[in-house]
Amino acid sequence: MKQRLSVLLLLMLALVLVVSACGSSSNNKEGASSTPSPSTPASQSTEASSTPEPPKDPVEVTLAGWGASPEEQALLQQVLDEFQSKNPDVKVKYEVIADQYMDVIKTRLIGNEAPDVFYLDAFEAPALIAKDVLEPLDGYVTPEFDTNDFEAPMLDAFKSPDGKMYGFPKDYSTLALFYNKKMFADAGIAAPPATWDELQSISAKLTKKKGNKVEAYGLGQAPELARQMFMIKAFGGKLADDQGMASFATPEAEKGLALVVDQHNVAKTAGQPSDVGAGWGGEMLGQQKAAMVLEGNWAIPYLQSNFKDVDFATAEVPSVNGQKGTMAFTVAYVMNKSSEKKEAAWKLISYLTGKEGMKTWTSKGFALPTRKSVAAELGFDKDPLRGALVAGASYATPWQAGTTLPTIMNNFNNQFVAAYTGQSSLTDALKKGQETANKEIKAAQ
Amino acid sequence: MAKPHHKSKLRDLMAGYSFMSPAIVILGCFLLLPIAYSIFLSFHRVNLLGTVSYKFTGTANFERMLDDPRLWIALRNTFKYALIVVPSQTLLAIVLASILNMKLRYRNFFRVAFYLPTVTSSAVLVLIFMWIYNSNGLLNFMLEAVGLPTYNWLGDPSVALLGIMIMNIWSTAPLFMVIYLAALQDIPETLYEAAEIDGASGWQKFWRITLPQLKPVTFYVIVMGIIGTFQLFDQSYIFSAGSGGPNNATLTMVLLIYQYAFKSLDMGYASALAFLLAVVIMLITVVQRLIFKEERLN
Repeated sequence: MKQRLSVLLLLMLALVLVVSACGSSSNNKEGASSTPSPSTPASQSTEASSTPEPPKDPVEVTLAGWGASPEEQALLQQVLDEFQSKNPDVKVKYEVIADQYMDVIKTRLIGNEAPDVFYLDAFEAPALIAKDVLEPLDGYVTPEFDTNDFEAPMLDAFKSPDGKMYGFPKDYSTLALFYNKKMFADAGIAAPPATWDELQSISAKLTKKKGNKVEAYGLGQAPELARQMFMIKAFGGKLADDQGMASFATPEAEKGLALVVDQHNVAKTAGQPSDVGAGWGGEMLGQQKAAMVLEGNWAIPYLQSNFKDVDFATAEVPSVNGQKGTMAFTVAYVMNKSSEKKEAAWKLISYLTGKEGMKTWTSKGFALPTRKSVAAELGFDKDPLRGALVAGASYATPWQAGTTLPTIMNNFNNQFVAAYTGQSSLTDALKKGQETANKEIKAAQ
Repeated sequence: MAKPHHKSKLRDLMAGYSFMSPAIVILGCFLLLPIAYSIFLSFHRVNLLGTVSYKFTGTANFERMLDDPRLWIALRNTFKYALIVVPSQTLLAIVLASILNMKLRYRNFFRVAFYLPTVTSSAVLVLIFMWIYNSNGLLNFMLEAVGLPTYNWLGDPSVALLGIMIMNIWSTAPLFMVIYLAALQDIPETLYEAAEIDGASGWQKFWRITLPQLKPVTFYVIVMGIIGTFQLFDQSYIFSAGSGGPNNATLTMVLLIYQYAFKSLDMGYASALAFLLAVVIMLITVVQRLIFKEERLN
């Protein structure tokens, strides 16, 4: 028995040796490849451009993003094709990550298999920047790239606390009030609401009931933090304090959020998509199960192609407490720090977020340009549907709040749903959400 | 011990292990090493993204569990889920198997029809059920038709877990039904004949012969059922898009482990939770063994 055990142990030991040997050899390789990459990318770039390049095989750069509609995908491919025809030395391999984008990207970053360039939502940016896995881009920027052309709030979303740039925003959208013109006309409402009080009073007129069952709500709501953060701010509340701890359980924050919850539970003139069997706000409006929803630019092509018979218009989000407010969402192209093709990767980023590439990318209105010059050229501020979205950019709350936002969001959403479905009072829900979030943040520090 | 004898024994051993080595290597690589590694991780604070670091923290990860409200919610959900699903699916499996064991017409058709849900991929099942559970879906339509209250099955925290329970009972019971069916056909006919001579009714035969004869299989079915329910992941993951919502109603142990491991990238704590789950499952199995063993001696 003893002998058998020792043989087994020997075998295990041999196995461990083999496995660890594999591990260390790959570590060596990784170390070797990362050391020669210079700390100042700028010097590398001048070096590369000064030496005349002999014709050689093109460098392949991988670009990863999440999936979008076929039209959008085709447009991106068009931009990439234009880039490749102008830069024959770079070949772009475009990958679509279909589901759980951030989980996949993070895991691939750990495994050193991450793409050279990838999409990054502003909301996840602070955490990734803090982990030091993104390449700072300041060293690559040339005067022709013209950083000042970008809308400042969108650019700031990808800056580290010490002011380094880690990504350039490819596009953005704010939220606006989308409303069904026919339902408004039927209810005798002439103009979209300008204040939240007006919105609530016309919601009552627009809600259609059949017996006890609501057929169409006045307002379609999304009870989640990403859409309601500006409501926390409306009366002076704050989502998180300077240390990144949750601080939304205050009377000020509750006042704004109560407007959302009470309209669902008390007035019953607003509902969430799953109340009427829809997946999201755009679908609610399209299926005419809500007369108004707060959605972004993405809803415009969706409604136009899927619900051709729905006549809708947009307006700025009604003011709350006398102040205008909305949310802004933006996504940037960022570079992987351990990429081996940084030179080519920058060429790609600078083209995609440059004046020319961005103009093509935003030309069809699937997304709004983050460069002022492109916006002026395309004239989206005068577009009947997109004007309201562009107007929101100046006062919008960007969807971002430090490295702890994912934890805060998760706990806020869970508790907010409890209040929204009437399982607990809003005060208790916010208190509980804040406590749980802060406990988790502390434990993770 | 004589030396030549010893030598030949060693040679036998070497031969034996060399034949087994593929299995040992595979088991070692994909089972033993990961287990050992996860135990190692559970005592460390691990940072994987950026600069990789392991810091020994002793039992800090385990102490953190005591003060983690989400863990208790997940445990409560998981226990509630197991407590309802395991008995229901076992009972349903026995009933279905007994029916199929009778001399019915079109028996093979029913066997196939009952077994189909188990063959279907769980991801597909969840998506189909999400349509059924939709506010305007089939289930609410039927409830309305018979005058029962309807629910927002996907969005209401109080019924979301129930939705997953119903789906799982329906889809796993047939698997255990097949096991019961095989066991039923193993019960010697002579026992029933003897009982008939003694004047036993059909119910008595079932209660006094069938069920006791099925005891070892029932033990297996319950153990596998509990392990399966404690490892519930894919259904609640798809149902809630990975969040465990609404309001943590569908948060299960494995989903919580997944969230800590891949959303927060806190491998140390996630490993500690996985370790806890393994201990819980082992404890329950031991308790069951004690209960069933006692009666097996009789």
